[in-house]
Amino acid sequence: MDATRTTKMASFRDMFFSAKPTLLFPSLEGLGVGWGMGARNNPPPAPPGRGVPGSRERFPKWFLAAIFLVIIAIEGPVQALLDLRSEGRPQVLDFLSQAPTQDNLRTFESALEDNAWSAEAVRPAMQYFRYALGEDLGAKALAGKDDWLFYRAGAEFLMQPWPHAVEGGGTDDPLGAIVDFRDTLAQRDIALLVVIAPGKASIYPDKLSARIAETDERIYGHARAFLDRLAEASVPTVDLFARYATAREGHEAPLYLERDTHWSPEGLRLAAKAVAERVIKEGWIPNGTLEYAIQPVEVSRVGDVLRMADSPYITARFAPESIACAQVTDPATGQPYADEAEAPPVLVLGDSFLRIYQSDAPGSAGFIAHLARELKQPVASIVSDGGASTLVRQELARHPELLHGKKLVIWEFVERDLRFGTEGWQKVKLGD
Amino acid sequence: MTSITRFLIAGIGFFGVAALCVGCGPATPDDGADPQVATQGSIEVTAKLVDITGKFPPNDLYDYAYVMKYEVLKTHRGEATGTLLVGQYNPLKKRAVAADERSGEIGGNVTRFRVGDIHRLALEPNIDEYCMAGIINKYAEEDKPSDAPLYWAVWTNRVIQ
Repeated sequence: MDATRTTKMASFRDMFFSAKPTLLFPSLEGLGVGWGMGARNNPPPAPPGRGVPGSRERFPKWFLAAIFLVIIAIEGPVQALLDLRSEGRPQVLDFLSQAPTQDNLRTFESALEDNAWSAEAVRPAMQYFRYALGEDLGAKALAGKDDWLFYRAGAEFLMQPWPHAVEGGGTDDPLGAIVDFRDTLAQRDIALLVVIAPGKASIYPDKLSARIAETDERIYGHARAFLDRLAEASVPTVDLFARYATAREGHEAPLYLERDTHWSPEGLRLAAKAVAERVIKEGWIPNGTLEYAIQPVEVSRVGDVLRMADSPYITARFAPESIACAQVTDPATGQPYADEAEAPPVLVLGDSFLRIYQSDAPGSAGFIAHLARELKQPVASIVSDGGASTLVRQELARHPELLHGKKLVIWEFVERDLRFGTEGWQKVKLGD
Repeated sequence: MTSITRFLIAGIGFFGVAALCVGCGPATPDDGADPQVATQGSIEVTAKLVDITGKFPPNDLYDYAYVMKYEVLKTHRGEATGTLLVGQYNPLKKRAVAADERSGEIGGNVTRFRVGDIHRLALEPNIDEYCMAGIINKYAEEDKPSDAPLYWAVWTNRVIQ
């Protein structure tokens, strides 16, 4: 944290915690409105009975109560009128159109909160207020050291117990879903390679808290144990945790972006290299011959964790990260790398870790392009943001032709999705 | 009870009753037609939202498309009849502000999705060609996803009858 920001925050806190009431509400003082605490410390002479109307003690209570009641009174009617204009009927009437079950009531309450005009109007400023006071980024993000930001669910996955699910545990059984997919592919003579992308907090726990050592295998114990279980089930994997730990010890460039959940260009390059080494070593596919070229490209990116804070005032406090990418290009045409859907023997499935720099700016500079460069041949891919646990295989099921001619499927998913994967870990039937 | 208290309670009551009266009153009919819905996509239908299976997951980290079930009431352009499975991108957001770099141009004036509502939709027939985000299809097992087409909602306007 820089000195300017520290000074600003200190002055902000001082204003709200140390300032006298007269500084915050001078107009109320001018109106003869007393401050609650001050009024209790220096009470006016207590009159008998109901007290004197307009005394310094009674007026602020009325004033605050009136403001409170007015806010409550106008919220509902204004919301109803806005709903009427936009939807034809007030949202509050949804309450009457559904059975009052627990689920329906929770959904109704949540929808009311999400669509409330007052919440929309106040939320960004309140979020900034909380951040300025205590670096609270809300329910979804965590502020770390040196302006590093973390996705809360990713940190929670590391800190909370995870029993690795019970075998046969329906959609909460990642091992069962992976083994089922491996067996389905094996029936078509296609190998499966599983790649767990480490969460940022697993590799940079010291940026989340000063109390955690730079490298400690216990931090990513859930993923470590799951990799062991995959090995016991004879599912081939690539251990990026060990590779990244070694890279950090060598003080290489940061492997993750500071205010984003995803890996940096250096992180994805290491991952692509490790995966390609395993593929070549196993001999799953014929060696390629294409020598892709590299084109340096710089992009700037506002981190997705910063966007989760849901306040433009917070976003404005951070400059976008400037990122030096390596775009993969075809040496024959000079064009950026592009997938080939049917011809190549490799199909890559994954989540937003495959999307960043690839279909996102600058394009053709992500994991997929760099894997193709390492393998010296194009690949096919399906990318589903946040959907690597189940959704990406459902998309494959809608397009089974993508498996024709394939010898290897590489399946990437982020560590936290072992527990939090969208739609869990369903077993997906693949069509012919 | 003081006169101010009585005044406040009466005021709240007045606003509440007024809002209910206005809310329950008849709304202006609207067939949902506008230049966007009439020109976007290759199919245009008026359809009733008959089912939303499950709850929309949070969109804090990932935006996604959620597949809902519609019953076609009238086909205005293209070919679509009967029951349609339609993916709505980022359904927790109002259609007017839901578009981003992963959805391409989408929009409309629907602000939330409720079973029973009628929408005028501009659609494309193959969602995978248009949506780069995850597609949550709760009907995957029920309707055999490799056979049932998933439509992509390009424009979604409300219809008030």
